[in-house]
Amino acid sequence: MMFPSRPMLCVITDEELPPVTFARQALWGGATILQLRNKTASGRDLCRWSEAILPLTRQHNALFIVNDRLDIALATGADGVHLGQDDLPATVARKLLGPDRIIGVSTGTREEALQAEKEGADYVGFGHIFPTGSKDKPLPPVGTRALQETASLLSIPLIAIGGIQLENARRVISCGASGIAVISAVSRHPDPRIAAEALVREMAEGMLL
Amino acid sequence: MSPANSQPLPLPRICWITSGRETDGSGQQISRLLQELPLNRPAMVLIREKQLNGRQLLALASRIAKETLPNGSRLMLSERMDIALATGLHGVHLPEHSCPADRLRSASPGMLIGKSVHSPESALAAEKEGVDYLFFSPVFASLSKPGYGPLQGTALLREVCRATSVPVFALGGIRPENTIPCIECGAWGVASLGLFTETANFRKTAETIDRLLP
Repeated sequence: MMFPSRPMLCVITDEELPPVTFARQALWGGATILQLRNKTASGRDLCRWSEAILPLTRQHNALFIVNDRLDIALATGADGVHLGQDDLPATVARKLLGPDRIIGVSTGTREEALQAEKEGADYVGFGHIFPTGSKDKPLPPVGTRALQETASLLSIPLIAIGGIQLENARRVISCGASGIAVISAVSRHPDPRIAAEALVREMAEGMLL
Repeated sequence: MSPANSQPLPLPRICWITSGRETDGSGQQISRLLQELPLNRPAMVLIREKQLNGRQLLALASRIAKETLPNGSRLMLSERMDIALATGLHGVHLPEHSCPADRLRSASPGMLIGKSVHSPESALAAEKEGVDYLFFSPVFASLSKPGYGPLQGTALLREVCRATSVPVFALGGIRPENTIPCIECGAWGVASLGLFTETANFRKTAETIDRLLP
């Protein structure tokens, strides 16, 4: 599976919005990875949404990734799975997904990121970089310094996550992130497509710094 | 445990469902109960511990997969086909609002796939998706899962068994005294959560039910 060109914009679905409409808007706005994340939806809904979003990502040359539920990813032919520290280990997911599909792992420290790389992850999510309202976070933000250091140690792409907005997207990319993952920066904007386009522009500026 | 699709054996007539009260991946409670299974008869055992996260469920399923079960037994996991595949279980049992069985089948051809249904219509829909067996519930009043919708009763159980050619397990309030009526309605077998986890002398109850089944 080919990674999108960098910098990557990974848009994660917001549990409070209809995911297919949201995915369409995000993809129009330039999202290169679309991640379906919903911790409470039934398997039936996840399957239905996956089957609706997958062809949309194909039209836009983007990747479609399912959060946590490798069963849904396998059943619907998604491009890959994104795993948290409490989900299946990457090594187990790799055996089921084969060498070609994408595995991402959420990490919050340098050690977790290196471990994920060792276990065969194709990319790591790293964060949360800044304070965030999207998810309950027991730990303080990791900050851009840890981001810079971790990105320099990895040979796989690092996608920065957590509190990333239009105002700081450029800085995150200039610190060595290969992309950003966002929920609210796109989902809470009155026009998600415009929000995604603006983030893509900011990241492009960050590449020049 | 034998590989998932070594040879087609008939389905067991009894399915024991775990309590949903495992607090981590250790599975000690379940292992202890599995030791009590009567050895002379195959059983289906369904691991249903939805409160655990993926990593805990993987640890639990790997541990249970190492247990010796009566010959011809089937070890099933609730919904998570990925974890069942990773740990070499025989199959998955799907809740009514799950990913359709045909999608899972194409991703894991050798698996046994069952599904819970609560109406004759959804039994027929599940049969079209290609499930291997069904749970129909709640047939009788249940102590372990009270308040699970209106009781279906034996008349509806009979209707579901007639409507579908897929083996049907009666679930909900199963006790030794109502096992035979279920079989007379056309059920392939019975499934129970309460008897497995809440009976003082599980082995004795299991032996009693085994004797009543075809």
